[in-house]
Amino acid sequence: MDRPEESRWRPPRVCEDYWTEFRHCKSLRNRFHHYYTYGAMPSCQQWNEDHNNCKQWEMHRSPEAKEALQKSERNRVAEQKNFTPVWQLRQEPPRDWHMPLNQEKPQDS
Amino acid sequence: MLHFAMETSPYAKLLLGAMKNSGCKVFKERHFSCEDCSGTVSGGFDAASSQIVLCQNNIHQQSHMNRVVTHELIHSFDHCRAHVDWFNNLRHLACSEIRAANLSGDCSFINEVSRLNFGLKEHHQECVRGRALRSILAVRKISREEAEKIVDEVFDSCFNDHAPFGRIPHSKEDAKFAYRDYMNKDRYYANL
Repeated sequence: MDRPEESRWRPPRVCEDYWTEFRHCKSLRNRFHHYYTYGAMPSCQQWNEDHNNCKQWEMHRSPEAKEALQKSERNRVAEQKNFTPVWQLRQEPPRDWHMPLNQEKPQDS
Repeated sequence: MLHFAMETSPYAKLLLGAMKNSGCKVFKERHFSCEDCSGTVSGGFDAASSQIVLCQNNIHQQSHMNRVVTHELIHSFDHCRAHVDWFNNLRHLACSEIRAANLSGDCSFINEVSRLNFGLKEHHQECVRGRALRSILAVRKISREEAEKIVDEVFDSCFNDHAPFGRIPHSKEDAKFAYRDYMNKDRYYANL
């Protein structure tokens, strides 16, 4: 018998990770790197909100907190995919990756 | 130094894990070759033999080894996960060079200053463009203008492709965070 989804679900990251990401985001070093890359300061507040929602879920099993956290993480995933690939992804790794070095082409069996 | 890089660099460990996950487990004896190289080249990836070449006469410090291993593993990772036409498609070559310069630490502020390239606001992007251009011109007989055009065409796409890191790892600390995320990826995607 399946348990209800609520009892199986847990935040995508441990709550402590959201906090360390927030602190890391706001650090002087990270702000420097962000300016060096993008010419602007990073936006860090979302990590703080995610941490709060994570704790809300942990303590009160708040469905609003769960939904907000999922939405935030889905946005992050979408941002990471926000480009048109130059190449086609493989379905399988290259056939010759593991072949011994003195054998460049597949042999006829 | 190679063994130390593979065992301790969070950049290398993440790439090795991602490659194993993609079906391209890396074996030091099979997939790395230490050779003497001409000029100042530090290394290269040979798709024909599925091998990373490390120029032992030009790598003298562990930090440099870490960076070269990361750079070449990014090419290997691209070869493993995508149909990269290294020999005939200059856009593919440019893309992997942009990614390698972007994600390996090649263009860190400190590395650029040590090359006497002083820049701050968005300089990282300028460095990535420049190094990708240099890498293409080193292996293909095309004009600088043509190479620049190709880099421009693919830059936005490839600069924003951060796989498998999920972010641009500017420092070892960034790389550790990225490695932490990678090790957590099963839980992450299961609970989105």
